[in-house]
Amino acid sequence: MPRRKPPIWGGRLQELGMLLPACILIALFLLLPFLSSFEIALTNQRLIPRPVPVRFVGLGNFQQILTDSAFWTALWNVTRFTVMVLPIQCGFALAIALLLNQKLPFRNFFRGLFFLPAITSMVVVCVIWSTLFQYPTGPFNQIVGFLSFGLVSPIDWLGDPTWAMPSIVLLSAWQAYGFQMIVYLAGLQNIPETLYEAAELDGANAWQRFWNVTMPSLRQTHIFVLIITTIQAFKLFTQVNILTQGGPRGTTDTLVHYMFTAGFVDQRLGLASAVAILLFLIVLVVSLVQRFVVRDRR
Amino acid sequence: MSATLGNRLLKSLGAASALSIAVGAGLSGAQAAELKVMFQGDPYEITIITDVAKRFEAANPGTTVQLINTPHDAYNEKIGAAVSAGSLPDILQLDAPFLANYVWSGFLQPVGNLLDKALVDDMTASNVAQGTYPIDKALYAIGLTDSTVALYGSRKQLEELKIRIPTSVEDAWTRDEFEAALKTLSTAPGVKWPLDLFRSYGSKTEWITYAYEPILVSMGCDVIDRTSWKATGTLDGKACVDAATEMQNWVKQGWVVPQSAGQNQFYAEGRPAALAWGGHWFYAEANAKMGDDVVVMPLPKFGEKGVSPNGTWIWSVAKTASDPAAAGKFLSFMLQDPAYRDAYKAHAGFPGLKSFAAASPLYADKGAMAVAFEQAGKTAVARPPHPAYPTITLAFQNAMTNIFDGADPQAELSKAAKKIDDDILDNDGYQPFGKAE
Repeated sequence: MPRRKPPIWGGRLQELGMLLPACILIALFLLLPFLSSFEIALTNQRLIPRPVPVRFVGLGNFQQILTDSAFWTALWNVTRFTVMVLPIQCGFALAIALLLNQKLPFRNFFRGLFFLPAITSMVVVCVIWSTLFQYPTGPFNQIVGFLSFGLVSPIDWLGDPTWAMPSIVLLSAWQAYGFQMIVYLAGLQNIPETLYEAAELDGANAWQRFWNVTMPSLRQTHIFVLIITTIQAFKLFTQVNILTQGGPRGTTDTLVHYMFTAGFVDQRLGLASAVAILLFLIVLVVSLVQRFVVRDRR
Repeated sequence: MSATLGNRLLKSLGAASALSIAVGAGLSGAQAAELKVMFQGDPYEITIITDVAKRFEAANPGTTVQLINTPHDAYNEKIGAAVSAGSLPDILQLDAPFLANYVWSGFLQPVGNLLDKALVDDMTASNVAQGTYPIDKALYAIGLTDSTVALYGSRKQLEELKIRIPTSVEDAWTRDEFEAALKTLSTAPGVKWPLDLFRSYGSKTEWITYAYEPILVSMGCDVIDRTSWKATGTLDGKACVDAATEMQNWVKQGWVVPQSAGQNQFYAEGRPAALAWGGHWFYAEANAKMGDDVVVMPLPKFGEKGVSPNGTWIWSVAKTASDPAAAGKFLSFMLQDPAYRDAYKAHAGFPGLKSFAAASPLYADKGAMAVAFEQAGKTAVARPPHPAYPTITLAFQNAMTNIFDGADPQAELSKAAKKIDDDILDNDGYQPFGKAE
């Protein structure tokens, strides 16, 4: 029986046709804006068109940003935020995932319950938490006062330079851990039950089973969660914009907030585009470094 | 087989999209005139404006009004985005000090000839000033209301502590009297903070420049020199640094309600805040909780004379408006609508039209807010009507926020002044503003 030749061009055309809609959309809404932001970053373009002609300023915007101390403060703040939020958010997510992976009654109900903050809008969470943080009579301060028998005076959570960032970290970790929790839950369910049975036969206790079976099996999940959470953390904006506007004294200013202020409040689109490019490069470098550090050595 | 299916699918998709475009074009061509109105406001104002739009539609069959309610905190950002996206509405409400920037940028049109003449003649001087572009002296916006800031206190508390209560702009507290009052109040029973400067409005509204710039002007300086349009030498000069240092000192003493304490400390239970540096709109709230005990006082004279702010959200027509005459008709209808005026009157709206002032007993002689209205006529100084205003206010707000949070006043104000001058330079001096006269 002669083999039928596959229809090369017909097949290709079909593939192309299938790909085209996605390609056009990606090019239109992802690639094109990205490339045009490179172009805008080299000009002094304003948000609102103005009677002054737009000029090519070369790397002037980048020079201005890199010599602005507020930019470096924002970068430092985002780094601080990431370093604080990573262990809290991922640790919390893993702990809850482990708990929800047990054969508890109403397991699905609790899974939904713990995922609730993640599907609540960040804006809503911020408004609610701003009441919790209220100085000097908000619930958090009442708890602190009660637990310390009134010895610790009320803390201005969002208004005190030392407390503002930790407060934002706490809120962010609480709102966003749901996503990491789901990923961990999926990872945990992929670990074959037989590994635990074997470990149990070898006499490993629960703690040893966790460190020697669960953790190594979750390696790929850890890497994914780490990189995704870092990228998310670098984009910190909403919480800061609603609760502190970067204050007090710039201690919660972030790269995206810096970019937003430059572009939409100060109306300097060129400068904001340059910040966006720097942010992209920073996130890229951080992700590459992370990949390199945690790469599989086998 | 499958290849032809794919091709057929693509073809039919193309045909469908062509069809939908044709249908869409046909429909929009047949539609009645529509006015797009962009505005902001609290829930109360949103109801007022929604109602007046309905009445306008009923009175003008064939014209529909599409209201675009936009959050106050991000309003100017939204305008910027709408302009660059080419999707500006026909009518837009704007915050008065931003007018110069928008007219200079070229997307508003004069409204003097679009509105009823009686309405234009009815505007108070301050209202005309806030809607006029200083270069061509044309009217670009109009409002029913204007605004001011007053000092609120409790009559009972002040009398008990034997603190003099000023009753007119002329005998407003001096700088020393004001500070002495703060000091006395700081040790009075029940007082946690002698002064609420409403820091809780945050730095996303105009509040900081609006309410605190008068203190600078009263002390003999300003955020920018209003003839040379240069901030360096003015905003970072000695007078401004002194003013900022003094305000920082109030915070350092623990006299000012902190940002995270909310906006109700003046009338909250136990009255933790003794005095309130609040907008005219605050009177209605405070009066509801404290009744006649609320006393309204003029802002203090820090230097030679007292200074108070003005300006509010006013209505303008975009240059791109499809039917400017209809836009003018809507504005004339709205501002003369009796129910619209009554609703603002009920909320202590600050009169920007003479006929509205005459109908507002609150601001008339012997009214509770009479002194606030007197102040608007005698000491109001508008924020700088210059196209660089968005940068001016941002730089000043950042500086003031940092100074309140403990930063060095001289360093912060110098940074702000440089930022403003850089922006003016970057726009080639905002011609024709930069030209020597």
